[in-house]
Amino acid sequence: MNNNIDVLIIGAGPAGVAAGIGAKKEGAERVVVLERDWDLGGILQQCIHPGFGLRTFREELTGPEYMHRFIQQAHEAGVEFRTNTMVFQIDKDTNAVWTMNKERGIECLNPKSIVLTMGCRERPAGAIRIPGTRPAGIYTAGTAQRFVNMEGYMPGKRAVILGSGDIGLIMARRMIWEGAEVEGVYEVMSWPGGLRRNIAQCLDDYGIPFHLQTTVMKIHGADRLEGVTVAKVDDKMTPIKGTERYVPCDTLLLAIGLIPENELSRMAGIDIHPVTGGPVVNDLLQTSNPAVFAAGNVVIVYDLVDNVSDEGLIAGANAAKFAAGKISPNVKRIPVKGGENVRLYSPQFVTGEADTIIYMRVTHPIEQACKVIAEPGLYTQRLRYARPGEMNEVRIKAADIQAKPDLKEITVDIQPL
Amino acid sequence: MSEERKFICVSCPLGCGLNVTLENGEVVNVTGNTCPRGAAYAKTEVSDPRRVFASTVRVSGGKLPVCPIRSKTPAPKAKLKEIARAVAELNVKAPIKIGQVLIHNVCGTDVDIVASRDLN
Repeated sequence: MNNNIDVLIIGAGPAGVAAGIGAKKEGAERVVVLERDWDLGGILQQCIHPGFGLRTFREELTGPEYMHRFIQQAHEAGVEFRTNTMVFQIDKDTNAVWTMNKERGIECLNPKSIVLTMGCRERPAGAIRIPGTRPAGIYTAGTAQRFVNMEGYMPGKRAVILGSGDIGLIMARRMIWEGAEVEGVYEVMSWPGGLRRNIAQCLDDYGIPFHLQTTVMKIHGADRLEGVTVAKVDDKMTPIKGTERYVPCDTLLLAIGLIPENELSRMAGIDIHPVTGGPVVNDLLQTSNPAVFAAGNVVIVYDLVDNVSDEGLIAGANAAKFAAGKISPNVKRIPVKGGENVRLYSPQFVTGEADTIIYMRVTHPIEQACKVIAEPGLYTQRLRYARPGEMNEVRIKAADIQAKPDLKEITVDIQPL
Repeated sequence: MSEERKFICVSCPLGCGLNVTLENGEVVNVTGNTCPRGAAYAKTEVSDPRRVFASTVRVSGGKLPVCPIRSKTPAPKAKLKEIARAVAELNVKAPIKIGQVLIHNVCGTDVDIVASRDLN
């Protein structure tokens, strides 16, 4: 079956909407974005706080405002959207995409290229195995955010937050503004997961205590959560005897990390990177399947939506080029390696076809002047510090790659000065 | 009288640690900032701290039971609780347009509360 779709994009969050714009701008005739929700915008629909788009729009917008601008651009560019449409399968060999929608039924789409923009999910409670009972009142921070900001429900009256990812910090302030109490935020690591400004404006502003190297040891309550036991941990993350404390609460919010959502990518036989949890991509954002591109949090979890949109535009444009037969199957494939203190990075291959940014995170914080580098001699930039919660980037020029025809490998690293 | 204070600038995701020197309650020196916004932030933080307020209002007849709102401009920090209460009392009829003013001059702050999405 041929549906004359040039570029098919899966997910209408920030990456997918930008990919649609990128594909149309590159000249693709028919660009379709599929979205399982009834509305466009993805997770930014529920991120109603300001802080988005400072780089892109020179002002701080709320999530819905940021998406509103991109969705308008996409409509103007002629991107087609299909909401209430779930992709349930991508066939490995044919790249056929199977969709389900209440009115249209089951359909099989055969686009010339695909962009994966499914975003990420929150790490759930099951991932950290907290001993105790399993009462109601335990939510991931994003689920609670959806309850409060889109469905009009409050998850509880007195919350404890485990993990210091940005969503947890934002939800701490949100709970306060809705009249609830937030007993504290607990982080097992010795450094915060989220941005410092969120600790300042979401916790410090409201006097919410922030406990590093402290975690929830036990959950109490039969039907409804009644409390948690918290304890300090040592450098090996082992709880320290005698530091246990019982905290009464009816709500436990988890902000313990995000995981790229790649069930479809796996089904399509696309190589998944063991550390990022996202597709292995080159700098064209092309996956191990040359007709399939990927962008945004489905590839690597970013701090800022501006980066997600940037990557969406690139993936969409390259998917359009591929659909038009303008990407050679023989592009270079120079592997990128991470240095000692680099936990993850993306893309993992560089083609030298275009200037590119490699995004990365350190494993351990460096609280002193340091430098982010790409060897051999491709990039160096001084930094005042490097922290796991704040992504770093190296910028690589296509001309520099082309000038080194014997280049076998690029190493990215962050080192103290 | 000289005083040293520390702030985290919230103007952008960098979150610079600001060291602020005050003389008789006036900012005379700011270090640690990367850009001029840091110094400006320190000055307003000392004299008139403000934050953008973002919440939801109840909606009748809409596709969602609530609609996100924001203060169009930063509101006085000390008034945020009062503003939250004023916003919580509101019930707005759909359709709502993004940017639509829902409360003019909320709590006498000269700040407007506006819808931050379209909701049919």
